Formats: sequence, structure tokens, C-alpha cells
Amino acid sequence: MGLEQFKDRRVGTQNYKKLDLDHAPNCGWCQFKQVVSRTFKPELFVGLWVTFREMINALFRGQMHTTQYPLEKLPISPRYRAIHDMLRLLESGHYRCIGCGLCEKICISNCIAMETRYDENQRKEVSEYTINFGRCIFCGYCAEVCPELAIVHGQRYETASEQRASFSLFEDMLTPIDKLNLQKEYDGFGAVSPNADENIKKTPLAY
Amino acid sequence: MSELQSAENMVSIKIDGKACQAKEGEYILNAARANDIFIPAICYLTRCSPTLACRICLVEADGKQVYACNAKVKEGMEITVNTPNILEERRAIMEVYDVNHPLQCGVCDQSGECELQNYTLELAVDSQSYAIPDTKRESANWSSVLHYDPGLCIVCERCVTVCKDMIGDAAIKTTKRGGADLDKGYKDTMPKDAYAMWNKLQKSLIAPSNGTDSTNCSDCGECVAVCPVGALVSRDFQYRSNAWDLKRIPATCAHCSSGCQIYYETKPASISDRTEKIYRVTNEFHYVSLCGAGRFGYDFENAVKGKDAEAFAKAVEAFNQAKVINFTSVITNEEALMLQTLKEQKGVKLINREARAFQIFLNFYQAASGNSLYKHDFKDVMASDFVMSVGTSLRNDNPNARYAFNNVQKLNKGAGLYFHPVGDKLVPEFGKSIECFAHQAGHEEAALLLIIDLFADHDKLPSSVKDQLNRESLINMLGGDAEKFGDAFDKMMKKKERFSLIVGEDLYFHEKAENLAKLIAVLEASSDVQVVMIPPKTNSLGVALICDLDDEAEGYTVGYNAPGDFTISALGDGDLDMPAMNQQEGTLTNMNKRVVPTNAAVEYHGYELNDIVREVIGAPKLTIDWTQYLPEAKGFQAVAFDTLPNGYHNDGSENRGYALQITTSEVGEIEVAKFDESISLEGQIAYRCNPQRQFNDFSDKAHQIFEAFALYASPAKAETLGKRVVVEFDNGNLELDVVVDERMEGDIVAIPDFKSAYNIYELFGASRYQKVIIREV
Amino acid sequence: MEATMLPEVTAGGVIIKAVLILAVISAIAGFGTYIERKVLAFMQRRLGPQHVGPYGLLQIIADGIKLFTKEDIIPQHANKLVFAVAPAITAATAFIALAAVPVFPDFTIPEWIPVLGGIFVPSIASDVNVGILFVLGMMAAGLYGPLLAGMAQANKWGILGSARTAIQFLSYEVVTGLSILAPIMMVGSLSFVDFNDGYNDNGLWLIVYQPVAFVLFLIAGYAETNRTPFDLLEHEAEIISGYVTEYSGMRWGMFFIGEYANMITIGVIASVVFLGGYNDFWIIPGWLMIIGKIAFMFFLMLWVRASWPHVRPDQLMWLCWKVLMPVAVINVVITGIVMMV
Repeated sequence: MGLEQFKDRRVGTQNYKKLDLDHAPNCGWCQFKQVVSRTFKPELFVGLWVTFREMINALFRGQMHTTQYPLEKLPISPRYRAIHDMLRLLESGHYRCIGCGLCEKICISNCIAMETRYDENQRKEVSEYTINFGRCIFCGYCAEVCPELAIVHGQRYETASEQRASFSLFEDMLTPIDKLNLQKEYDGFGAVSPNADENIKKTPLAY
Repeated sequence: MSELQSAENMVSIKIDGKACQAKEGEYILNAARANDIFIPAICYLTRCSPTLACRICLVEADGKQVYACNAKVKEGMEITVNTPNILEERRAIMEVYDVNHPLQCGVCDQSGECELQNYTLELAVDSQSYAIPDTKRESANWSSVLHYDPGLCIVCERCVTVCKDMIGDAAIKTTKRGGADLDKGYKDTMPKDAYAMWNKLQKSLIAPSNGTDSTNCSDCGECVAVCPVGALVSRDFQYRSNAWDLKRIPATCAHCSSGCQIYYETKPASISDRTEKIYRVTNEFHYVSLCGAGRFGYDFENAVKGKDAEAFAKAVEAFNQAKVINFTSVITNEEALMLQTLKEQKGVKLINREARAFQIFLNFYQAASGNSLYKHDFKDVMASDFVMSVGTSLRNDNPNARYAFNNVQKLNKGAGLYFHPVGDKLVPEFGKSIECFAHQAGHEEAALLLIIDLFADHDKLPSSVKDQLNRESLINMLGGDAEKFGDAFDKMMKKKERFSLIVGEDLYFHEKAENLAKLIAVLEASSDVQVVMIPPKTNSLGVALICDLDDEAEGYTVGYNAPGDFTISALGDGDLDMPAMNQQEGTLTNMNKRVVPTNAAVEYHGYELNDIVREVIGAPKLTIDWTQYLPEAKGFQAVAFDTLPNGYHNDGSENRGYALQITTSEVGEIEVAKFDESISLEGQIAYRCNPQRQFNDFSDKAHQIFEAFALYASPAKAETLGKRVVVEFDNGNLELDVVVDERMEGDIVAIPDFKSAYNIYELFGASRYQKVIIREV
Repeated sequence: MEATMLPEVTAGGVIIKAVLILAVISAIAGFGTYIERKVLAFMQRRLGPQHVGPYGLLQIIADGIKLFTKEDIIPQHANKLVFAVAPAITAATAFIALAAVPVFPDFTIPEWIPVLGGIFVPSIASDVNVGILFVLGMMAAGLYGPLLAGMAQANKWGILGSARTAIQFLSYEVVTGLSILAPIMMVGSLSFVDFNDGYNDNGLWLIVYQPVAFVLFLIAGYAETNRTPFDLLEHEAEIISGYVTEYSGMRWGMFFIGEYANMITIGVIASVVFLGGYNDFWIIPGWLMIIGKIAFMFFLMLWVRASWPHVRPDQLMWLCWKVLMPVAVINVVITGIVMMV
């Protein structure tokens, strides 16, 4: 391989489409012809038609482009790292978080804090869980490290508020129990990869 | 230092080609560890007998596969830690441990410090080849502190071993699991050791050894400490915090004179309250064993919001006009030095009853023996194979003395003699060769005389002692059967080389303390019995060495954690608050005669004694600035606090603070007074003795320590007493509940002294035994 | 004339008419901004103003409040008097021009209304007999607004805006005049009423006879009112905001009102002169027709703005002097020849 090929910065296939540019008129007659042809070409009316058509499309064919932002929101990419959500188990409705503390540990801005205790059902109960959103940098490590897919990044990307503490309590982030059927599985950072099954070694089970 | 590394008892070995020196008769594993070579091992505990449960410490020694934890080194031995075959075995063993082990690391308390996790990763177990049907195993609470989850248990038996070999309770044992049998095919396909280990594992679990659902033990929690997985956990700590969130602060336990090295593990109290709180106490369990008070009695801090300048001004005034300072032994050496400085400059009198009694006894001993202090420590006791105890309630007074007594029986195939008026059911269970003498209170001289008779070289004895040695009458006087004992003693003496004697508080609080001290000096001079003493309270030894204590004093009294006209207290109930032991830096002098540092684990915002002393007579900036001024004449060294280490070396040797210097001087012949057997007390006797896990107001303050301030009695005695009684002393009465101590025997009742408010020392006076009248209410 | 049949035009009537025009046109000018934003939005498939009032209808009020309450800034080195007067000139000339334009049919205020009852309000505030000349003249005088504004504000963009004002307005004044000369020749009068009535008889609008003049007038009208594709005076991509660069608040609002009033004026002239005025058409009453026609002319301006790009200044001049002016002259000559023949 020659050095020139490395020096060639044109990567990829070039797909530029060249406009069919005529040569500029270079004689009086040519100029006259251009004026006449431009005068009688209905190009101006084509322009009028285009805008009028779009108005009709917008008003009567439901092709209005505007998203009335605070009232309606476009779905964001699952890879976007917005305010965290705490998911529930679909079967029981119990929150998924097991209080393992990995998110607390991995958090590089040290903004996650949790309290756990031994509860009446002999389980580890998460009695308090907060994220200090004044400090959170939305790096997504917590979602990635979570073994239960319990803490994920949700759809709330409007992180400006008078008190960002209002995002931060466990209950605020947890899927409301009556909206459990609307809970969506998370596809972003930390979600199970599509080929996860191939990467797992099977464990022999005797039962 | 007694364990001199002389060339004679060292052997040369090679581990993985590295030339090492090892003590003769040492296990390969310990030799490797002492030389900083890693051999994986799960079930072995350094000061306990090898269990051979995990078999993972397999090594090749001189071409033969042996278990490093129970094969002893030999001169010229060549050891290979890893061979292909051994690696295969180890991996198979770890795979077997992982069979059916619940994948709940996320919630498990041990996660992050779990040896199963560590070794699974260390041996790169990334797939599983074995399977067996799981057995249903229910978790259970075994006591007020213990929670056992058999699902997580890998039956390494460390808990069983430590409970038996170190603690002596032997409260837990292995039991039947009732699991499925292994597939026959595995026998041929699996590595041999892994199969054998699995075969055993599949058949056993851990259970309380008394056959019930709960353990009958001293709740020391050592089993929790040694558990490599999350099977045995503290109920209070369970699911409260992850190991990695806790900050470890090396410190010294301040409850008794053992002065064990501990780690306070702290973390913010809650999300809203970010002040550091102690979540648990851990220890280097290979090298030191804690008691229940040390492990669970950690939250005795004095939560002070800020500096109370008004109270401080009053305190300064009180110190200025004080004639007497009354204090306990739960203070640091530095504070003791401050008080001594106050005495020297202001002429106040210092009152500390337990330290004073010990100081007097030490003075008698010094005068008689010429040694500034007793020469040996509890490491020597543990290394001995014949251990005796006089004048201490082994089970209650000092946990480490008890652990040492027990450890000798278990590990050194040792024998023991236990002289104490209060009968005890536990001590005889420590081993087969233990003879107990429940002698009459006050007859401690007879016990010492018997020991002298048994072990001393009679030619070296002064005549005043020799005259009194009548073995038969001494044995009878001590409540034994002379004939039987003779035979038993002959058996006990077989193959015994090192002898040790533990003496305790009964001797210091004794009418004939001087004579007892002389007898000990005689014993040491005429035999190779190694004598150690148990200081009565936390820093009694330090106080006794540093302070010039007074017997009696009158006048305006300032009390430090003790009664007085003006009180400064770390308990939060005084006129001015002081930091508790987990809130201050300083050094303590423990019973092993080491000056050991302790650190502040919890914040303290108030005034310290140093602040008062600075106002009164001037003082350096910090309490720990006093450390280098501790009296060198008494064996202390002029070293700065910050240079004091607080840990252990890989070979288990203590790297904590420094040892006191002992000076020896020439003395003449010891004149021992005649033993007067009529001195014994008659009638109902009360013994000043704390229940296990209680030592002082601070252990009482901790929320996990609940042993009541009550009258403790043997089951038979308790029945005759009723539920609540009035105890009448010569100089006062005490109304107490009666609590049954299952392990007590005999008629003597125990009355605790851990609450200073009850002034128990006043009631008992100069003796630990008092004649009392007990009435039911 | 039928005028004799009508009640007498009193001073009160004229004042009422003037106030009416001022109020209504101002309001419509404001409303025009709303319509413009809305139409442009729809043509770009957007929604436009939406939140103030139903469908954003009260947006003009919000804008008005904003303009009125904004701080009035006069640049430090500006000629303060001229700077202050210039917007008034634009607004004033725009409204004065409307004085000679018939906006509504005549009506009499009902008797039962106190004070004003019985007053006759004419369709034109002042039916001068040279109405069309007056309107064109006033609109030409409106040139002074941008010209002075740009020169007074001590801003280079303003100067550029002024220069463009001068060349653009003066040049296209020629085209406007020449293009409307042909209809004047045909009607033989300069009164708007005559234009309205003149071709009513045969029902054919003047645009049928004078399509070239109509197109020329329309183009010139866009240039006169500073509308796309000829909004070079304040072409923001080139000269920030041209002559209004330094203006803010209500002064800026007056330029705006003037521009919209001029747009309506042009719409009215085109409707009356070329599109049949306020005559009844079939069953549609005249007043509705005139409103419809003006509205269409207004819409056409917005539509053009949405569709077409700007021209360059040199293209503008080229178009004026090399194309439109010759065509207008030829149109006048041909009209004259046809009338003579």
C-alpha cells in the first residue's frame, strides 16, 4: 500500500450531485433568449403553488410539523440519559431494587445515597434512596452497573427546576403502581445486549 | 518480647524457589504467610486447629501433595504452591462451593469481603461442571446477635473451630444436612480432593450444639467475624451497609484490660444525618479474638452538639478548687498523665480504687521479686501447655485470659488448674485435663502454695515457704481430694514443658495482698512457671504506673466518669461532657504490657480534659501531645503518638504501639507470712463480678449489650432467693433482681460493678468477697 | 351626480370617518401582523402564534402591550429630533393617503344614538377630485420616514437602509405612476369614485383591459411598501434591519403600522382601480366584495413572501429601469393608440 492512499482524506464514496448549470450567456442574443425563457417559464407560479400546497397539507391533511413542546413531547432515544427511573417487577409490582449498593459505589460524582435494613419479610429493604441531582452528571454508570435493571434512565429530560431535589426521592422515581402496565423496559445503557444468551455459559441444574 | 527468633528453632525451607526461614514445627501455611507467600486457604484459622474442610490449601511438599494447614515444615523442605494437578483440584473445589450457592451477592452482607467471591475470582471459575439437587434450608436467629442463613453456608467450619478452640463455648457444631447423595459418576471423573470435600459438604450444616434452636454462649460474635461468607451475620448489622461503604478506623477496645485491636467501621448515620456513626466492629480474627462487649458494645459515644462554654468555665473553677479527683480506669494514659500532673502541681489527691489496689499489689510484687512488672504476657500463656488460674473468675473477668486458658487446652493438648471460690461449669469443659478447686473465699494463699509445691524447685524456696508446703492438707483445704488429685496430676504433667499462671483481681483486693504478691515472686524465682496478671479494668495498669494514687481523701471532689461534687463525664450525665473512648485519640496500656494507640471513630464537638488542664495549669495543644511525656521511669517510651503502629504482621506478631520496658533489680530473700486458714469468710458471700459482656458504664450504654445490673446466681441458688432481693452489706443495702447464670455453681452470688453510680466498690471495700444478708422482697 | 341625493357631508361626519379609519386600519394593521405570521406558518407547515387567546388571536394585544411598555431607546449620537419624528412621518403619510381612499360605503349613524345620532358618514373622508394622485403623492412622501430614520440614527446599517430607500422608492415611483396612467387615461378621472363607477356598467373590471398595467402596479406596489421580494430596506441578512436598526418599542411599532397601512392602501387601490371596486357582484354585496378583494391582495403579499426569494439591489434597479419602466411606457402608448383609434 502506498503512502498516497493514507494521505487521501476522501473517505467513503463521493455521491455529490452536480446541478445542471448552464453557461452564462456571452452574447446579446443569448442574454435576450435567457430573459425571454425566464420570463415565460412559470417558475414563479410553481413557487406559489408549492407554498400553497403545503398550507393545504398542513391545515387539512394533518401534516402540521409543529410539536407543541411542553404539551406534547417527542420520544427520546433510549440511549439518552435523562432523569432516572426506578422500575418495578411486572409480576409482583414490588420495586426491583435490591439495595445492593453498586450504583452508590460506582457513582463517580458520589451523588447516590441509600439506606437499607432487614425488613419483616426477611428481605433487604431499601428504606431510603436519593440521588442528588445537583451533583449528578448523568453518566449512566448506575444504570449500567445495576444487576436488576432497576435503576434506568427515564424520559424526563427537563432537569431545570427550582429545586432539583424534587426529582430525587425513591418514590418520585419509582413507577407509580397504578401505571405499572405502562412501564417500559429500558433499552439504553446497561440493558441486556441482544446477544446476551450467546455469552452466557449454562449452569448444570439437578432439578 | 518472649518469642525470640533464635537460630536454633528455625528451619530453612524453599517455597516456590524462595528460600525462607520458618519456626520448627510450624505449619507450611503459616510459614508461607510469615514469608509473604500466598497459599489459598478458606477453612484455616491461624490460632485454631486445622479443620481440613476446604482442602484448598493443597501444596506439593517434597513431591508429595499435602495440606499446607496441617503439614509441618521440615529442614530443607521444598514446597510448590501451584502444580497443574493442584490447580485443577482447587478449581474443582471452588466450582463445588459455587454449586447451588445463592446468587444473591447483591443483598448479601459479606459481598465485597467474601472469601467465596474472592477465591472464585482468584481461581477464575467461569463455568460450572457439577450439579446436585438443592436442599431446603431455613435461616434462623440463633441468639440476640446471631443470624444464620444455611443457604449461604459453605460449611468451612471456621465458626465451629473458633468457638471451640478459641472462645471455649463450643456452642455450635456440624449437623446433618439431609442433602442428596452425590452422583456416583463424579467419583471417577472429579479430582479426588474436590470429590471428598464435596461428599463431606453435602452431608453437613452448622447448628447450635445444645440441640435447640438457639446457642447458649457468651454472644461474642467471633463466629460472625470468621465466617468467610454471609451465612453467619450480626442481626443488628444485617442488610444495613455494604462492606465497601464503611470506613475502617483502627483502634483499641476500651472495655477491659485486654486492649484488643479492633476496627471501628463507620459510615454516615443516614441520608439526612451525615455524621459518622459506627456500624460495626471488626477484628483481625486470625490474630485477636474479641468478646461480646468489644464486638457489639461500640455505640457508647457521647453525642455532644457543641462546646458548652458555661459548663466549661465551671469545670475550670471546680478543678482549681478541687482537693480530690475521683476517676475510673476507663481513661487513656495521656489523661492519666494529665491528672498526675495536676496532682504534682496543684496537690490534688487522685482516687481510683481498682487501679490503687492493683498499684499496691504491683508494688508488693516489685519489692519481692525485683521486677518492675510481671515479665510475661498472654502470648506466653497461649504458647504454654499447662495453665493455671488463681483469683479470677475466668469466664467473666477478662475474655482474653479465658480464651488463652481454653486455647492451651485445645491446641497444645494442655492441662489446667483453676482455683476459684465460685464454681463454674464452663471451665471444666475447656478440656479433659482440667482440675477445678472451688476453694473457700480468702484461701488464695493456699492455692499459690499448692502451685509452688507442685512446680517449684524446693531447694530454691525460702524456708518461710517451705515450712508451709503440705500438699495433702493444702489440697484438702482447697476442697480437693488429695489422692485422686495426685493421680490426675501425674497424668496432666505428661509431656508438659511450659507452664503459666494467670492471677486476677481477687488477689489485689485481698487482705493478704502483700503475702500473695510475695508468693508469686517466690514461685517465679523458684520455678519456670510464667506468671501474668490481669489488670482489673481497662487501663488500670497504665493508671497504676502513671498516677500516684491516694487511698483516702476528703474535700471538694471532681469526678471523672465517677461520683463527685462536680462531675465531668463521657456518659453524658455529668456537669461537663467529655469524649468517650471511641471519640478520642490516645494510648492505653493493656494487660500484655503494651502501650497501644486508639483512634477517634466518631466526631466529638465538646471540650476535652486537655482543655481543662490547659486552663488550670497549662498543657500542649492536643491530648496526644502528652504521649511522648509518659514516664520513662515506669517503662514508657518517649515516642510521638503518630508514630505508633496499630496492626499485625503477616506472621501474626503484634505491631501495635510498643511494649513497656521491664527493669529488674536484685532483692534479698523473700519472707512470707504464715498462711492463716481461719481468714475465710463464712455464711452468705457476695462476689463482685460482672456478667459476661459487661465491664463498665460504657458497655452498658451500648444498645446491643443488655445484660442487666442484677444479682447473678447459680440455678439452684436462685431458686432459694426468689425474684427480687435486698442485699445487705455492712455499710449499705442494694435492691436487685435475681438473674440465673446457668454456668454458675455453688452458693456464692455475683454482684456486678459496671454501673459506677451504685458505688459497688464502697460496699465491697477492700475485698472482692463480702459477707452479706440476702432477703427477698 | 347622485351625490346630490345624499345628505350633506358635515365636518362631524368627516371627523368620525377619520377616527374610524385611524382606528380600524390601525387595528387591521395589527391584525395583519397576526395574519402574516399565521399564513407564513401554515405555508411552512407550522402553527404560528398559538397561546395568547384562542388560536393566538390575542397575540396582537400581547404584542401591543409589549411595544408600548418597552423602553424607548434613542442612540447617543443620533439626531434626536429627526430620530423621533421619522416614524411619525411614515405612519402619518400612510394614514393621510387613506383619507382619499374609499374604504367603506356611506352610512348614517342611527338617530337613537346620543350626540352623534343622525350624522352622515361618507365613504371617503375627503373625496378630492385628484384622489389617486393624492394617494400616490402621499405614499411617495412616505419615503421621508425611512430615509430620515436611517440617516438620523448614526448607524451604518441605517445609512445603507436610507440609501436603499432613496433608490428603491424613487425608482419605483416612476413605475407606479406610469402603470396607473393607462387606467387614468381610460377612466378620464383621478377620483376613486369614478374609478369605482366607471366600469360598472358593462360589469368588466379594468384588469381585463389593462392586465399589464395591473401587473406593473402590483410589482411597483410591493416595492413601494417594502415587501418581499423587494424588502431590501431592512434586509436582515445584509444590513441587519436597515433603517429600523436602532428603533425599538412604539417607534418601531409606528414603522410597522405604517407599512401595514400602506399594504392596505395598495390593496385598496388595486381593488378599486383594477378589480371593480365596491360594486355588487352577482348576489354578493359590494361591501363584501371590496373586503374580499382587499383581503386577497393582502393574502397575495403574504403568499409571495412565503414563496419567493429576495432580489439583489442591482437586480431591483435592472428590473425597474430596463424592464418595468419601458414596458409601462409602451403600455401607455398602446393604450393611447387604442383609445385614439
